[in-house]
Amino acid sequence: MKTKKQKIFNGILVAVMLVMSLFFLFPVIWMLANSFKPDSAITADMNSAKAFIPPVPGEGFFDNYKAILFNTKFIKYMLNTLFYAAILIVSGIIVNGLAGYALAKIKFPFRERWIAIIMMLMIIPTETIITINFMFVSKMGLLNTVFGYVLPMIVNPFNIFLFRQVFVSLPDDVWEAAQLDYCSPVKYFFTMVLPMSKTVVATVSVFTFLNVWNDYLWPSLVFTSSDLLTAQIGLNSITANENTTMGQTLAVITLITIPVIIIYSLFSKQIVEGVVSTGSKEG
Amino acid sequence: MKNKSNSILGMAFFGPALVLMTIFLFIPMILTLIYSFTDYFALNPKLTHFVGLENFSTIFKDELFTTAFLNTVKFVLIIVPLQTLGALGLALLINKVTVCKRYFKVAFFIPVVMSLAVVSNLWMQIYSPEGILNTILTKFGFDAQPFIYGANQALPSIAFMSVWQGVGYQMIIFLGGLQAINPALYEAAEMDHASAWSKFKNITLPELKPLCVFVFITVTIGAFRMIVQPMVMTGGGPSHSTYTIVYDIYETGTVNWEIGLASAMAIVFTVFVVILTIIQTILTKDKEDKHENKKAKNL
Repeated sequence: MKTKKQKIFNGILVAVMLVMSLFFLFPVIWMLANSFKPDSAITADMNSAKAFIPPVPGEGFFDNYKAILFNTKFIKYMLNTLFYAAILIVSGIIVNGLAGYALAKIKFPFRERWIAIIMMLMIIPTETIITINFMFVSKMGLLNTVFGYVLPMIVNPFNIFLFRQVFVSLPDDVWEAAQLDYCSPVKYFFTMVLPMSKTVVATVSVFTFLNVWNDYLWPSLVFTSSDLLTAQIGLNSITANENTTMGQTLAVITLITIPVIIIYSLFSKQIVEGVVSTGSKEG
Repeated sequence: MKNKSNSILGMAFFGPALVLMTIFLFIPMILTLIYSFTDYFALNPKLTHFVGLENFSTIFKDELFTTAFLNTVKFVLIIVPLQTLGALGLALLINKVTVCKRYFKVAFFIPVVMSLAVVSNLWMQIYSPEGILNTILTKFGFDAQPFIYGANQALPSIAFMSVWQGVGYQMIIFLGGLQAINPALYEAAEMDHASAWSKFKNITLPELKPLCVFVFITVTIGAFRMIVQPMVMTGGGPSHSTYTIVYDIYETGTVNWEIGLASAMAIVFTVFVVILTIIQTILTKDKEDKHENKKAKNL
């Protein structure tokens, strides 16, 4: 039962929140609206409310987007990033998944100690060792190669731990039955364990993708050749170019966000659960 | 027999991860520690000497590192209260709202979806001298501000932008926490005619305390690690006002190749992060124990 007072309060609250959210989102609204305008219109509209309203679709509506897609290497950068993400998702699931399974189910020497070490590794920030890893990669002659970028990123203590937590609760009798059928452990892992754990595989894949897509520091160190750049680093080389207009900058940052928005809307449930569970697990 | 095959199998499964961890995590960590006591210069490794704690005294006497350190602390001090309280406030409001709940959740989460490089590039346009923000300011009779182009304003401007970008993430964490509070607690309080404030103070806040600690520490660590925003927006300037610890590690190690110095900086940085993590573990420990007890009882 709701009193009138409460209803009025709710109405005011929603109105205030709506205004707040518009203020909060003004940079995004401005970005979207102006990504369709030539620079002259962006500057001219700046003084009025028109700054937040997209132009009427017509001739030249997509000019900024066309310029980015066809006159820069942007598509190449996007494909590069997708390629690296695919490699890291597959290799990361294999390497971290196998390790997680060993730590969960196979009794091998020092297992408990390895688990403790992996939990400690989760604390150490990557920035600590980035200098040495960069030195390693450059001494191995792997700068400006896919290997140099990918190799240090495959193993991930967080993902090993995540896999372990899920694999621990898998039933043991399936494993025993599989052994009776002379199923090799590796085959068992790929045909039984991974399919039984679709959720964690999906979570790790999504977070690996987001990590690769948004990563800045490591790719900026490894890649200098423009053919290998990831989207984020490529973005900077595009916006730093003097010929890139303001409208084109806004178009390219819109384009680069689209794949992430797609991922978030497809997997919003897993992502939100992942975010919330990091809070409840560690909090 | 079974034990032996298990240890072979275990190492076979764990092996690939172990090899990669050794090359890219263990060895670099040990080397960072060792190099921090030497004057290792990557362009001339043959001239390396053991210098004891000299690097550590050098960096704390070094004006640039002290500036970077103070900047990072300032950045943390601006971001942490704004982001923690902002996220808590937003979560409480959204929890109260009865309509458009989903819209509000999405709206305040949108900047989280955008990468740091994207957000930095966008706000460079917004903060620009003839940009939209200065246009609005002058329209309402204020003076135009230099924002990221002024030594006094650059760091707060970047901090404000970072809060804008990150606050939605912690908001979702708090919303999860609010929804996990047992509604029976509020019902009991309502029977006692408790005021809204006393319900907040006596139920919501204590129930959310462990989450607050978690958010507080993760935001602090995140702010400590800042580098991308100044790298993209200001290059550490103007006059090093946005130069951070990690930026200094990065430039000393990968641009100047002074691995010894960079390692000492990295050790100092890591010690801070580890201390923060330990504090967090200690402060949230008793909640976990309670949970364990509950689980034990349920069994």
